[in-house]
Amino acid sequence: MRPSFFHHLHPPTIPARQARLRYTLASGGLAVFLSLILLVTGLLEMFYYIPTPDQAAASIQTLTFLVPYGGLVRNLHYWTAQFLVIVTLVHLLRVILTGAYAPPRRLNYLIGMGLLVLAILLDFTGYILRWDEGIRWALVTGTNLVKSIPLIGNALYTLLVGGTQPGPATLIRFYGWHIFGLTLAAGILIAWHTFRVRRDGGIAVPPPPLREDQRRITRYELVRREVLAMLLSATALLLLSSFAPAPLAAPITATSVSQTARAPWFFLWVQQMLKLGNPFFWGVVVPLAVLVLLSLIPYVFPKPAKPELGRWFPKSNRLAQVVALLILISMIALTLLALRPAS
Amino acid sequence: MRRYLLLAASIFLLLGLLIAAWQENRHPKPIALTPTLTGQVEYCLTCHSDLAQISNSHPVNTFGCVICHGGEPLALDANLAHSTLRGGKNPSDFSVVQASCGGSNCHSGTVESYNNHIQRATTSIQATYAGAIAIMRYTYGAQSSLAALFGVNAVQDIQSTSGITSLQAFDPAAETNPQLQLFGQNCLTCHLSAQPIQTGGRYDHFTGCAACHTPTQSADLVSVDTTTATQVHKLTTAISYTQCDTCHNRGNYDLRTMTFQPRTDLVANRLQDYYQPIAQFTQCEYTLDCIDCHTRTEAMGDGSLYGSKLDIQYIQCTTCHGTLTELPQTRALTDPNDLAFRLALLNPVVDLKLGDTILVTGKGEPLWNTRVLPDGTYQLVGKATGQVFSFNPVMGSACTQNGVDQSSDYCHTCHSVQR
Amino acid sequence: MPEISRRDFLKLASQGFIALSGLFGLGMLLRFLGYQTEPPPPTDFDLGPASNYASGSRTLRPEIPAVVIRTSNEFTALSLVCTHLGCTVESKPEGFACPCHGSRFDLQGKVVRGPAVKPLNSLRTGITSDGILHVYTN
Repeated sequence: MRPSFFHHLHPPTIPARQARLRYTLASGGLAVFLSLILLVTGLLEMFYYIPTPDQAAASIQTLTFLVPYGGLVRNLHYWTAQFLVIVTLVHLLRVILTGAYAPPRRLNYLIGMGLLVLAILLDFTGYILRWDEGIRWALVTGTNLVKSIPLIGNALYTLLVGGTQPGPATLIRFYGWHIFGLTLAAGILIAWHTFRVRRDGGIAVPPPPLREDQRRITRYELVRREVLAMLLSATALLLLSSFAPAPLAAPITATSVSQTARAPWFFLWVQQMLKLGNPFFWGVVVPLAVLVLLSLIPYVFPKPAKPELGRWFPKSNRLAQVVALLILISMIALTLLALRPAS
Repeated sequence: MRRYLLLAASIFLLLGLLIAAWQENRHPKPIALTPTLTGQVEYCLTCHSDLAQISNSHPVNTFGCVICHGGEPLALDANLAHSTLRGGKNPSDFSVVQASCGGSNCHSGTVESYNNHIQRATTSIQATYAGAIAIMRYTYGAQSSLAALFGVNAVQDIQSTSGITSLQAFDPAAETNPQLQLFGQNCLTCHLSAQPIQTGGRYDHFTGCAACHTPTQSADLVSVDTTTATQVHKLTTAISYTQCDTCHNRGNYDLRTMTFQPRTDLVANRLQDYYQPIAQFTQCEYTLDCIDCHTRTEAMGDGSLYGSKLDIQYIQCTTCHGTLTELPQTRALTDPNDLAFRLALLNPVVDLKLGDTILVTGKGEPLWNTRVLPDGTYQLVGKATGQVFSFNPVMGSACTQNGVDQSSDYCHTCHSVQR
Repeated sequence: MPEISRRDFLKLASQGFIALSGLFGLGMLLRFLGYQTEPPPPTDFDLGPASNYASGSRTLRPEIPAVVIRTSNEFTALSLVCTHLGCTVESKPEGFACPCHGSRFDLQGKVVRGPAVKPLNSLRTGITSDGILHVYTN
């Protein structure tokens, strides 16, 4: 058959071993698909969401309880967003643990790190748009962390918050970032990232002479597998969204009080560290250091050897794998500690 | 193999969509109400449509629910909808009453417009308990006079006519005398902000305005459904004596051990079993309801802080029966804006008309449920029961009172019933 | 029955279910998009006591928008919504003029000049038992 536009987006063939689910975990492709779901459900939410402090939480209540399938759309958007952050992290971990960042893929690795940061920022800005009592302290501490940066902190804070304290200007700026600014950046990086995958030679494999298994699958088979993954993940998200509601608390008003001071799940590790002391150090420096360390892996650590590419846990980049796993375990540990009930 | 998987996955997708649609249709269909006072739509009726309207003075199409209760008008999830309720089930609790019941057109208006209820109720002696606290502190040496200094809650009355302009909050833990600390622990269960001693039962009541105005007890002492007694969604001015008795006539106290023995019995015979055996009662007292005699300022205060109930309670036998030489004071209702008409409208047991003559108290308060009929007979209609009674003035009767002593003890000497 | 390979049948069946899902999803989407957040505008306008309107008067009521005409014994209300594309026509000595595309109507609402074709709508009026004039736009 003649290949369609979608078929042509894929290489004519790819190595069969590296196309397997147990190799890629479908994480990269899933990230793209989840992003598409977020774009569509996000647009649908935009028809009902009103980005002013008086009406934000009430418009979300209208969407959730009164609009037909409004709750479903909102839950889909919420769960897909959380899974996108998780899938992006899984993808990053997969890339490190299979050594798939070796040259010429080092630039693409950095683009991917940028996408990770964007995914987290999109999750956070979306969370703030609820403007309910659950987000109040996250907004205050998050923006104050920016203020804690020496020299440029106050200027950055004003840019971010649009005033001297969080208010209507902040909400509309976060809305602008979430709907357009960060989304545009993510769109550009997704396009560049997927382009680079093909430019860098597709999925990481040993060079042909060193390859044990020479089998390949066609683009038709690849697209079929992707369609299968999309169908299954869409169904799973639909079912989850039908039964598990996205969180929503009472609106922020002049007299409302916050019941909780818990960070969103992906920042619990930072909240736990902030209990230790200096906010600039634990809230800005350490997380940035983790990001920088992860970004430096392809440049500083011993490179994976070409014969070992295309498989899990190659010996040649063992140090990078250990470092990545240690960072993961620490973040999970910090998150679990943060979840303990306050004494 | 993969093609079977694809077919299965597409069937699952369709099933997933169908399940999502089914789940959507299981949600209750929203029932909208746009009250005329607020113009904001609320969806409380989606789950609460079987609730009775709270009173004829608060029709749901005018008020809706949120204006009094708070809550989230658009939410159909119970936890979220109720998360911003004022005062939980009882928005008239004094901690939130100003936001729920207040407003110059509602219940925190002016004395002249007769709607300063919140100011009166929150400074009334039933709310402050200032008299009991003052006596206790004086008795146990914590203060050198009987002047009221403390109340259950801190309260101010800048325009006081009684001389007391404020009360501090009574804190038993700050008292040095252990008897006063015990008093704080055991004896502060009968004021308008207190949780009642016995909940869910015969003597249960709400706090705040609802303590009196939401009937948790029926006039028939034995048939009250104790499981639903405190679920009543009702505001009334037809308050039965059983409601008053959720605090009054509650049991016995022992000053030496500073304890209170609440009674737990359910009694059927009001005269024989209900009231304390040592007390004496005239027919009025075991037949009428408390509010048939006790006026609105006696029950709810007149807006000033007082240190003793004796300063506010002033109804006597003479108020309705007069003396040997004087008939009871009356007033002919010639002004259509008379307070008496407004009170009668709220509790329509009497068809009061312009030109009717009613009894008034020494302070001029209208006893709107009483009338002097054209033929000269005196009539009282029970505010809670609607029962009609006729009564006689002292003048022209065989009463042998000395005329000078008009205390109720004195009248009881002859008129109380032997039990 | 024409022969169809198992591969093609499975492909057709999968596409069929996906198409059905798409149609069902479209139905859900249409219901989602059809929700109205605002209540519809009022159709019953309370214009105060009918006695306020003198005989022979023509009163502009821009909130409807309409002009209330009282002859010696009856009320009529002429809608000021241009029948061409909905702009509010302006009152002139000789009738009504629409600023948008040049339509002209006479004092009774009949078309004098296009592009409007239909005359201005006559709105139903009513007087309640206590003498209050109402105009209805439905």
